[in-house]
Amino acid sequence: METGFPERCLPRFSLLDKAQILKLHESALRILEETGVRVLDSEGMALLLDNGAKMIGKETLSLPAYMVEEAIASAPKNLVIYNRNKSPVMELGGRRIHFGTGTDLPKTIDLETRTIRDTREADIITASMISDALPHIDFIGSYGLPRDVAPGLHYIRCFHLETLHAKKPVFFTAESTKDLEVIHEMAGAVAGGKDVLSRYPFLIHYSEPVSPLTHSDEAVKKLLFCAKNRIPVTYTPALLAGSSGPVTLAGAVAVAVAEALSGLTLHQLAGKGAPIISGIAATIMDMKRGTVSYTAPEFRLTHSACAELFHHYGLPVWGTAGCSDAQFPDLQAGAEYAFTLFNAALDGANLIHDCGYMGQGFIGSPEMIIFADEMIGFVKRYMEGFCIDSVHLALDVVRNVGPGGHFLGEKHTLDHFQHEQWQPNFFNRQNLANWMQQGEKRIEAHLIEKATHLREHHVPEPVAEAVREELDRIWKNAQER
Amino acid sequence: MGNLENVYEAVLNGSVDTIVQKVHEALDAGSPAQEILNQRMIAAMDEVGRRFGEGEYFIPQVLWSAKAMQAGMEFLKDRLAPGEQVGSGKVVIGTVEGDIHDIGKNLVAMMFEGAGFTVFDLGVDVPPERFVEKAKETDADVIALSALLTTTMPAMKSVIDRVKASGMEKVKVIIGGAPVDDVFRKDIGADAFGVDAPDGVKKVRTLLPPRA
Repeated sequence: METGFPERCLPRFSLLDKAQILKLHESALRILEETGVRVLDSEGMALLLDNGAKMIGKETLSLPAYMVEEAIASAPKNLVIYNRNKSPVMELGGRRIHFGTGTDLPKTIDLETRTIRDTREADIITASMISDALPHIDFIGSYGLPRDVAPGLHYIRCFHLETLHAKKPVFFTAESTKDLEVIHEMAGAVAGGKDVLSRYPFLIHYSEPVSPLTHSDEAVKKLLFCAKNRIPVTYTPALLAGSSGPVTLAGAVAVAVAEALSGLTLHQLAGKGAPIISGIAATIMDMKRGTVSYTAPEFRLTHSACAELFHHYGLPVWGTAGCSDAQFPDLQAGAEYAFTLFNAALDGANLIHDCGYMGQGFIGSPEMIIFADEMIGFVKRYMEGFCIDSVHLALDVVRNVGPGGHFLGEKHTLDHFQHEQWQPNFFNRQNLANWMQQGEKRIEAHLIEKATHLREHHVPEPVAEAVREELDRIWKNAQER
Repeated sequence: MGNLENVYEAVLNGSVDTIVQKVHEALDAGSPAQEILNQRMIAAMDEVGRRFGEGEYFIPQVLWSAKAMQAGMEFLKDRLAPGEQVGSGKVVIGTVEGDIHDIGKNLVAMMFEGAGFTVFDLGVDVPPERFVEKAKETDADVIALSALLTTTMPAMKSVIDRVKASGMEKVKVIIGGAPVDDVFRKDIGADAFGVDAPDGVKKVRTLLPPRA
């Protein structure tokens, strides 16, 4: 035997060293203590004041470091998320990566007309069906904000439709705790009771504070609702370096982490050990156009910093990738999808959302969810590295074949090719003649074809008839309230 | 019928270790050699080709089915009734003069064998006259020419010129390789062009007269 030899090489990446992690962490704690955070909800404010926070200005509280450290210690290190059928499908923690779609896109690239139009209810169903069918999409976001649904009912309707058309965990947003209550009721109906749901959660709520350093009334209420009802939640600031945070990335990260950690503190005070996925989005405001980049290199740096900080805390960490600032699936989109997904995988983020996003979080593209899935397969193969044991070095096979022979017919080739080589579903590796013979189709055409096919033919596992009726009843009540 | 199905399955699954036994059992059960070959083994390879075309099978799996096919054929050859023939035809194959690339050519050769052809592989850097000699000597049905280098493409034409000059009428010439296309095929007067290995076999089968 060979002792102490690592038989598999694995791609690794790290941005921060230990001292840098501690510096950023200490800076966040210092911000919370010196500058404090605004808490605009009375229950949340009372909770913090009762547990060691001090009022240092109008609605502004100073948080001592120990409160934050206690929250980091009490938050779960590992979260198991289930699908609709109570099968565990995601284990959020460590460096395990899981990918899914995003939420709330007001526009959609129409599969047929190729124009950018308002998102509709039917698009939510399409995105759910596509996501349900894809192997590397682990959870589904609502995808869009359907214009043909009455205002105030968007989030409830999206959750309703997603649950009916996919069995994967649902990552959802809500306007208020009123929405949350209805969605909680729906999820409880699917699980067979709210107590069962808290043991087998198949939903993750997404809520965020307002940068800089403000926990809005509604955000806190939603956060506390989730903590009390043991609904897994992400509470991640979306800070814009240069506008809602310092332009320098270190400062932006420190402020955003202060926001995330004060949210975590509130959450754990409301429910010790309640499930939460933390993290930050600290991107830039483009100073030429005033827009928000979803893919800027600076954002990828803060994404890595975020992952490393929360890995250091030992907490499940949120991420974002598989998105583009471009309005239309083009060269830029391909490059941005590839780079962000690769980066998020290297970061080992646990809950990576936004697959299928176009136009800076404004436009959805059904076929780009499929493209993201393809790219995730590519990235996962890369992340597997390769094995360097005697079987994989294959020196005996090399000896048998000898100089000038070939390996095509070797048993070793037959035995290993499928595991060693990733097969694309859509990336073109056709030779010129075959490609021409098959109509000179580019990847875009194949993706649109597949998206259309899944929309027409994918059959999601249906919910039980009684559950469907109960969901319909809850939806009907919500419309009448 | 169970015995014949086992032969089919053995070829389909590339069961090189068990194919001979399965063919043996089918013969013992009274199936004629010709029937075993044509109705089950070649049918299995057709299915392998279909699966490859659909992306369900990969090259190594096709090659192992081809190996099983070959092993079964070797065994059958010695057990033929007088006057009985097995096989799809004879192919002389090689990489043309000036080119020593052989992976593509090897792949095509194995695919031909898998399709029931008897293959005479002349190797690489093969002079034009050698193709003609070998085709005459073996009474070949097909000459298959491979090239990877663009600089060696003209060597294909000189093989074809010699075939024509030799008066061999039945032999068909097929070309293949990365730089070759159908326009070039027409220019040099070859009978067929294979865009890849399976396509080469398919084209040859359509060129040759059907066998019993």
